[in-house]
Amino acid sequence: MSKPPTFAVLGLFDSADALLHAIPKVREGKLGRLETYTPYPIHGLDEALQLRRSPLAGMVVVMAFLGAIVALAMQGWMSAVDYPVITGGKAPFSWQAFVPIMFELMVLFATFTAGLGMLFLLNRLPFFGHPVLSSRAIQGITRDRFALSVEAEGGSLDPEAATALLSAAGAKDIEVLSLPARAEILDAAFILRALGGIVVACVVAGGLMFAAIKLFPLLPPMSHMQEQAKLNPYKPSHFFKDGHGMQSPVPGTVARGYLPMGPRTPEEANGLVNPLPRTRENLERGREAYTNRCAVCHGPLGDGVPALTAAYNAKPANLVSDEFRKAPDGRYYWAIVMGKNAMPSHAADMPEEDRWASIHYVRVLQRAQNAKDSDLEETKP
Amino acid sequence: MSDQLTLPEVLREPALTMGTVTPGSLDDQVLAFPERRPPLKWFVAIACTSLIAAIGMGFIGYTVATGIGVWGNNSPVFWAFDIINFVFWVGIGHAGTLISAILFIFRKRWRNAIARFAEAMTIFAVMCAGLFPLIHVGRPWLAFWLFPYPNQRALWTNFRSPLLWDVFAVSTYFAVSAMFWYLGLVPDIASLRDRTTCKWRKPIYTVLAVGWRGAGSHWQHYEKAYLLLAGLATGLVLSVHSVVSFDFATSLVPGWHMTIFPPYFVVGAIFAGFAMVVMVLIVVRESMDLQNLITDYHLEVMNKVILGMSCLMGYAYLMEGFTAWYSQNEYLHHTFINIISGTYGWAGWLTIACNVVIPQLLWFKRCRTSYFWMILVAVGVTVGMWFERFVIIVISLHQDYLPSAWRIYKPTLVDFGILFGSLGLFFTLVLIFARVLPVIATTEVKGILPGAQPEHHGGDHE
Repeated sequence: MSKPPTFAVLGLFDSADALLHAIPKVREGKLGRLETYTPYPIHGLDEALQLRRSPLAGMVVVMAFLGAIVALAMQGWMSAVDYPVITGGKAPFSWQAFVPIMFELMVLFATFTAGLGMLFLLNRLPFFGHPVLSSRAIQGITRDRFALSVEAEGGSLDPEAATALLSAAGAKDIEVLSLPARAEILDAAFILRALGGIVVACVVAGGLMFAAIKLFPLLPPMSHMQEQAKLNPYKPSHFFKDGHGMQSPVPGTVARGYLPMGPRTPEEANGLVNPLPRTRENLERGREAYTNRCAVCHGPLGDGVPALTAAYNAKPANLVSDEFRKAPDGRYYWAIVMGKNAMPSHAADMPEEDRWASIHYVRVLQRAQNAKDSDLEETKP
Repeated sequence: MSDQLTLPEVLREPALTMGTVTPGSLDDQVLAFPERRPPLKWFVAIACTSLIAAIGMGFIGYTVATGIGVWGNNSPVFWAFDIINFVFWVGIGHAGTLISAILFIFRKRWRNAIARFAEAMTIFAVMCAGLFPLIHVGRPWLAFWLFPYPNQRALWTNFRSPLLWDVFAVSTYFAVSAMFWYLGLVPDIASLRDRTTCKWRKPIYTVLAVGWRGAGSHWQHYEKAYLLLAGLATGLVLSVHSVVSFDFATSLVPGWHMTIFPPYFVVGAIFAGFAMVVMVLIVVRESMDLQNLITDYHLEVMNKVILGMSCLMGYAYLMEGFTAWYSQNEYLHHTFINIISGTYGWAGWLTIACNVVIPQLLWFKRCRTSYFWMILVAVGVTVGMWFERFVIIVISLHQDYLPSAWRIYKPTLVDFGILFGSLGLFFTLVLIFARVLPVIATTEVKGILPGAQPEHHGGDHE
């Protein structure tokens, strides 16, 4: 093909009246589809061009209902299903209170359907490559002139016949618009540029997201919630000379319940006597202390079978063995305070009363694990 | 036109333009502004307004960095300048939607010349309004918590709270106003696109005009969309200030808990908005030589609207007093007495004087057509409507049910700084708009020029 096919033949009129009168005359030629291009809407053009009714109103009504239903469903689900919180003594699904937002979303959906639906869906915009946009006539069209164009419909359009027809109808400045040679979008360079643009946009968006999530919240004043004017025990502080937030107690301070042990050697300790009476409360306390601190290694029964796995190499003492049954209370006490072999000192985490109470409890375990037949008889009713 | 000829002289609509205006001359007059270098007075004006805006932003920065303790708000007046300014600005916006939507539905053709400007003012006013709840929350960077979004706390917003309705109403209002404004702009930007020879403006206009070419089939959908949008915006404009009034009316504070609030707020909003539109339009008309397009008739009609709204405001104030008396509620009674004779009694009387008394001047045609009186009334109404919100919010809050909690509210310098900063921001945006986009909807005005529509199609119906 030597010449690109004709898209349309377009003629200009000086008044809306002249345009409207010319339409029936040009229509009689039956050369192609008629279209007008005008600077403002003109009454009567719809009928003259024999346009179908705009379906926009129906679309808007549907979307308006959808907006209201979406709003009702959203509010109902959030307030009554997903996380019902009673506020103001109202039922979780108090639909009356949902009406204002239903109305707002209804209007929002309807508006965007009307606006964007009109531009993008019905009018098929944005369309920057339409031949009329690059015509000579466009400057008049968006200013004060009225264009009538005969556009190719399916087959080809005879430019000469259309020109003659328009000129007979009184059109001036008749212009033949041809189809653009090829779509620019298929150009390799264009595709490359477009992809490059998308990549750059992604990188920029990613950077911005990172900044918004990771950097922005840490800047003042956003960080004021974390950085308050108070001492934080585990953070540095300029308030004290040593730069610590948490200060050590004055040397020689003794905390309540943590009096240092009197004996200096294990032998001396053997002489200690359990100061706690064997009451039910003390035995309960001992059970709690033993379960929390000792049972993990010595076992809940005191038999040295730990709750830990075989990967744990140390061999905890069997507290219910004969050796330990005969041992004095002081020996246990020394071990709790000073630690023994792999066992750490529990001086810091067991107050004195807990230590003695747990020793009482160990005695209970020893008795229970070495029960005699006579014990059963004694307990017979 | 034939219908008009049968009407007696007084009932005929006056010409909407003066002198000879053709579509071409209209474009040359209005669309030339964005192409031309602005005059010196524009630079002086924008320097002043942006300086004020910058000072306001400085005060906002100080507030955000320090905390809202720098404001005068304190128990029991937890809402003060921030909410007053919010309601004030949202109200200003309502005139634009009224002009563009409600008057469009009523086929008031005089709206065409001023609709674009009023809509722009709506958008800027809503932007200023949105600023205040944002800084009122204290940590504006967390303001997105106002929206129901899935979060790790698994909590949703409380949909029974009018404050949340407000979030939806105001953001919908902004989105819809912007959409309405943009749709109206598309054909005008297409005109700018085809006029300009500047290689920087051309691509911008090309993109913004989305390839608009004025096709007959496009205009058909466009007009339908515009009509639908006008109908939707009408419902919206009535709902937005009603929802704003729910913030007050659904509470139990004496002086707030009243069923008259929604219509009363809507009327007040339109009232304040029209006053602002009149003020700004006078400046625009004089500085941009648009007397032939924005005629004395336009200003006079707007003044009539202001007068009508003023009478409705007077009725609302009377109803407030009547309710205080008729309800026999001693708390409401006390609040009403506070409005007219308490510590802030001067504010109550200032409100009544500015909103009800001064606008009565507009009964006289001389005042409706004279700049001096018009501006006097418009400034009075703007001040009066700001103080009306002050009266509603501060007077009701500062003495409510518990006398031991009563306290006199005093605004701080920061409060005033942010208020004036928002005014500066608003006028800066208006000035930029006046130089960047067509201030008059040329497409709409072209359609109502004499001879614009085919004669034989009869009548002057739109």
